Amino acid sequence: MNGAELVLKVLQQQGVDTIFGYPGGAIMPIYDAIYQSPVKHYLCRHEQGGAFSAIGYARSSGKVGVCLATSGPGATNLITSLADAMLDSVPLVAITGQVSQAVMGTDAFQEIDVLGLSLSVTKHSFMVRSADELAATLNQAFAIARSGRPGPVLVDIPKDVQLAVAGKLDVAAEPQSRALNTSLAQSAQARQLIANAKKPMAYIGGGVHMAGAMPQLQDFLAQCQMPSVTTLKGMGSVAKDNPNYLGMLGMHGTQAANLAVQQCDLLICLGARFDDRVTGNLKKFAPNAKVIHVDIDPAEINKVRFAEVSFLGDMRQILPAIASTTDCSDWLAHCSSLKQQHGWRYDHPGERIYAPLMLKQLSERMPDNSVVCCDVGQHQMWVAQHMRFSHPRNHLSSGGLGTMGFGLPAAIGAKLARPQDTVIAVSGDGSFMMNVQELGTIKRFRLPVKIVIIDNQRLGMVKQWQQLFFNERYSETDLSDNPDFVALAAAFAIPGHSVTRKDEVESALEAMFTWPGPYLLHVRIDEKDNVWPLVPPGAANEDMIMETN
Amino acid sequence: MNHTLNITANNEASVVERLLQVTRYRGYQLAGLELTPMAEKAGLSITLTVSSDKPIHLLTSQLHKLYDVRDLQLASADIAALRA
Repeated sequence: MNGAELVLKVLQQQGVDTIFGYPGGAIMPIYDAIYQSPVKHYLCRHEQGGAFSAIGYARSSGKVGVCLATSGPGATNLITSLADAMLDSVPLVAITGQVSQAVMGTDAFQEIDVLGLSLSVTKHSFMVRSADELAATLNQAFAIARSGRPGPVLVDIPKDVQLAVAGKLDVAAEPQSRALNTSLAQSAQARQLIANAKKPMAYIGGGVHMAGAMPQLQDFLAQCQMPSVTTLKGMGSVAKDNPNYLGMLGMHGTQAANLAVQQCDLLICLGARFDDRVTGNLKKFAPNAKVIHVDIDPAEINKVRFAEVSFLGDMRQILPAIASTTDCSDWLAHCSSLKQQHGWRYDHPGERIYAPLMLKQLSERMPDNSVVCCDVGQHQMWVAQHMRFSHPRNHLSSGGLGTMGFGLPAAIGAKLARPQDTVIAVSGDGSFMMNVQELGTIKRFRLPVKIVIIDNQRLGMVKQWQQLFFNERYSETDLSDNPDFVALAAAFAIPGHSVTRKDEVESALEAMFTWPGPYLLHVRIDEKDNVWPLVPPGAANEDMIMETN
Repeated sequence: MNHTLNITANNEASVVERLLQVTRYRGYQLAGLELTPMAEKAGLSITLTVSSDKPIHLLTSQLHKLYDVRDLQLASADIAALRA
């Protein structure tokens, strides 16, 4: 057995049966080993697409995603995806081929210092210098990727290591891991803060479901009887029938969520990180609130907002330990009235398709447990506002990095992770073109991914900011020369349909869901439609701008 | 204000780069760096001095979670100043 074959054996030992990648010179021995391996490799059409598919696979399943690339340009094409996984805490192992050690450091063909490039976008990066180190290093990479706050790990393997005799595969050595003890020392203090609060609020991020603490969260909210809001990554964490859930907070959050958070006197931050898109002007964010912060990453505590009480460790233990009954019926009634008063309106005039209404229709029509993968921009915020999810694993959106081009390849990964579930990629006309080559992957593997392109022939979110904050100087945001998306899909043997009027939407959705294979629905909307509400940069979250036209 | 950190790290090729990358990215200026390899494969002893107006815990918490960092202590003078 050589090093390359050992890599595949270790992947199997780790329970990996699906990997994504693109071959090239320095990783050819591993691709030669793939040829006869039971590990199924999915050939993407660009390394970034392959890595986003691995991220979609990981986020929709909770498993570690694995992607491969060759040295040089293959490796550099992974960088954006690694950064995406880093900022959204996605467990990912990226394996790159490297030139042989004999020529490393000589600017050899397709040689780049990917380990150096990766330092700021990975949780850790390894260079394997000997076949003897391969198994232990790969096992350690998986352990790092999934432990604590998950994240991406790069393993760079020179070609000579892949070709070297590797001997037999030993039973996986127990990887080193840094024990994180859950301390409940401050739980009495937390319970007292909760019991004494008049206006408590739970602020829920992606960390709750990643900790496997969804059941404990529902119990906590039921026992404490407090309202809740979620971040983009936390959406789906709160049971759909919870009457005290106010929606997403932040720049494009619901009015009820933002107003209530601004008014609360105790903010319980669960697996979230006070991101600037959440807080708006940090100094004015929840100005009267004391904070209880629960996270698994010590570096998030007191990073941007001081917490009166904080907990590190396993959310499943912490939530029951801090739950306390509250007496805040007036506050619940107030939050409920905010929700009623500021509900979404879908009575949009005219015949043209109104994206929020169309997405609401899509949300109501899609099968239970469907996975929706977004790109980035206006459509992403409309999805967050107008679609409902039963689990955060059903809503894959590039949150921290905000990477256009994420949605289509992420949907490929999600469909492979959960073939029994419907997977829908909702994209914009700008984002879709960023990884459009992955239509080739859908075609090759006949993946029944449903694609909805919301097309305003603009880079809509940038254009919205130009309209609001740059004196309507629409610099480089006109995409009115877009391709014919339905014809483009047809070139990949994917059927599709284009709609422009509201009264066409229901039947178009029906046709899309009825069709057994991949399908592209092109939805043309008015470029004047913008995302509301919006918290302007530098403003407090209560100072939302509402629709101006 | 200067802060001195005493770090024990795995003696891996990229460990110093990673420490310096995090230090720069998080907004701290390098004011001093000493490296001493410990006994055979026991690791690296690193004394890192940084300056910044930011609280030092924002850097130590980021450095401490790096895989190759085994131990990190603020120099005693820093601890005394923080307690003052």
